Amino acid sequence: MGESALRVWYMTAISMDGVSKYFDAGNTVANYQLNLEVEDGEFLVILGPSGCGKTTALRLIAGLEQPSEGAIYFDDERVDGRSPSERNVAMVFQNYALYPHMTVAQNIGYPLKVRGVSPDDRDQKVATVTELLHIEDQVDKKPAALSGGQRQRVALARAIVREPSVFLLDEPLSNLDAKLRQEMRIELKRLQNELAITTVYVTHNQEEAMSMADTVVVMNRGTIQQIAPPQELYKRPRTAWVARFIGSPPMNLFRGTRRNGSIDLGEAGTVELPGKIDADEAVVETAGQDDASTASVVANSARDDVAVGVRPEDLTVSTTRPSSGNVIEGRVETVEPMGEYILLNVFVNDQIVNAKLSEWTVEKDERVYLTFDDDDAYLYDDGGELVA
Amino acid sequence: MSLRDHIDALAADNEVGGVLNIDREKAVALAVFLIPGLSLFAIFSVGPIVYSAVGSFYAWDTFTMEEFVGLDNWIRSLRDPLIVHWSNIQEFRYPMGALTHNLLWVVIHVPASTFLGLGLALLFADLKGRRILRSMVFAGFTVPPIVIGLVLMFIYDPQAGIFNEVLRVLGQEQWVRNWTQSPQVAIYALIAGGIWVHTGFSMLLYSSALSAIDPSLIESAKVDGAGAWRRFWDIIWPLVKPVTAVVVIMGIIWVMRMFDIVYAAGGAAGGPNHAYSVLGIEVYRAAFRPEIDYGMAMVVALIQLFIVAPLALYIARMN
Repeated sequence: MGESALRVWYMTAISMDGVSKYFDAGNTVANYQLNLEVEDGEFLVILGPSGCGKTTALRLIAGLEQPSEGAIYFDDERVDGRSPSERNVAMVFQNYALYPHMTVAQNIGYPLKVRGVSPDDRDQKVATVTELLHIEDQVDKKPAALSGGQRQRVALARAIVREPSVFLLDEPLSNLDAKLRQEMRIELKRLQNELAITTVYVTHNQEEAMSMADTVVVMNRGTIQQIAPPQELYKRPRTAWVARFIGSPPMNLFRGTRRNGSIDLGEAGTVELPGKIDADEAVVETAGQDDASTASVVANSARDDVAVGVRPEDLTVSTTRPSSGNVIEGRVETVEPMGEYILLNVFVNDQIVNAKLSEWTVEKDERVYLTFDDDDAYLYDDGGELVA
Repeated sequence: MSLRDHIDALAADNEVGGVLNIDREKAVALAVFLIPGLSLFAIFSVGPIVYSAVGSFYAWDTFTMEEFVGLDNWIRSLRDPLIVHWSNIQEFRYPMGALTHNLLWVVIHVPASTFLGLGLALLFADLKGRRILRSMVFAGFTVPPIVIGLVLMFIYDPQAGIFNEVLRVLGQEQWVRNWTQSPQVAIYALIAGGIWVHTGFSMLLYSSALSAIDPSLIESAKVDGAGAWRRFWDIIWPLVKPVTAVVVIMGIIWVMRMFDIVYAAGGAAGGPNHAYSVLGIEVYRAAFRPEIDYGMAMVVALIQLFIVAPLALYIARMN
């Protein structure tokens, strides 16, 4: 947009310091010991399955819930205990929460009206944001007369019109159809780039998270599993849970036992993984440029149960046994043509393994050999932590 | 005409016949289902109303219709100080006439029970024991009004009544009196009782209206910076407006048809010297107590109907 009547406003860094939230007199733990930093103007996405506490975390930042323990800071100011109106946050709700009895213009102008902004200034700002979001011809309609995408835009407009220091979005795209979701994703990212406003976005949709975030926070069961930029999250999932959660279809995990410098995967075979494993001593590796082994400690412990993770796209499928490398043997259970690739479900041992193929080269019930590079393998200990 | 056209025309004929057949069957079915309801409606509603409307223009000898007298009954009734007592109204002294008393109920009872009901509904909305509290408040409305009237008699009893006892405990002895028999205050005592009963009804309607409001709207308003008062005026009040219309109109209908509470407290006279008589009492006395004046009973009942019917119609047609 050319002339920006919306000035570039203060940016705010958010930090959560050991924040926990309990419900039902402590019987339900929604969030446990969250430590989180959101930088000025950063687009942070909290990603997790339903019930993981991501929405509670957002509500804590908004001030709609107060933490049971810990502190929340906006820049250097401690804000926990303050009401939402004292925090200058704006929030977009999953169902948009538009006031049904007000017109679009009244909805968007409401936060300004509450703040005592004069009607003239209000009208001008409403005009600016409606133009920014391409809803200028909807301003006299009631929310019920709008389509899902238009309601979404109104909710966004209402949130940004007051120039908040923090912009919070709770699953804002989940009520839209696939095509619209794609459009709004781009739109949201554009808005955030233009306004450079600190944004916390909650979603269970990893595609949204990966495509929009500067930083992704993965949550599960009330705790933070990993904080990383999208690409790192994919390349280096810190726990087996994150590894399974990120990527579609999810990463394959082979259970095994560490034995004599290699990993015994039972009937599926044995893999070597040189450079990843050393059964006799703890080694600090600093060699190599690849992500998977930049600097990692391989612990020499009594716990020799491990899991080897390989993404479906990193598996190579052949019908004859390769002479060398990491080979896992299995039987093709199903072949699913997905369009851009063919998804194989291979029965290995007692588990189903996913592999992506570019050509239809195998048939159901055929015996196949799955191979993968050492660099594409992730080793997790029995606690689910990444070893190498 | 080609063969093709001929066949098409035949098919069209059949279709028309088919449609007619179906319509005939439908009409019969509709009639079968409508007749019981309509006949009850005709016998117990339309019939009496038409009968009264006609009867109000005739002279009556007890229960037999005599000659046509035009507006005689109407003029006589509306001039009757029992219905509207102009000189007392000017001096603001009871009795002011049954119609005036009814309107006083509307002016005091309806807003009071509406706002109390909304207040209690808001108060109970977030409380833990709200279901029990709601049931307790609503219980009053489920009791037959005549029983409410009797309960009020106990409460206001000059000796044993709890209301006077409370006044004595509070050291306000000068206020102790026989509340339902003191002409100048009795109507307010009864209206207070009516409010107590009717608040449960409006609270129940408001409670369901409040629970139908999406909680995220309230949260959104909080984030938008609205305090409790603004949230009420800008969000909650507009959203419960349709319920307010129902509560107010039902309240008006309820007090316009008021009979039991007044009868329990003041008998067929409507209190000492008709001090708090209402239209319902006047209809009853004109129709069933000597001197029986059937013409006046019909006129007064029709006045009640004229006030209540449009309101009832409005509610029935609300969407």
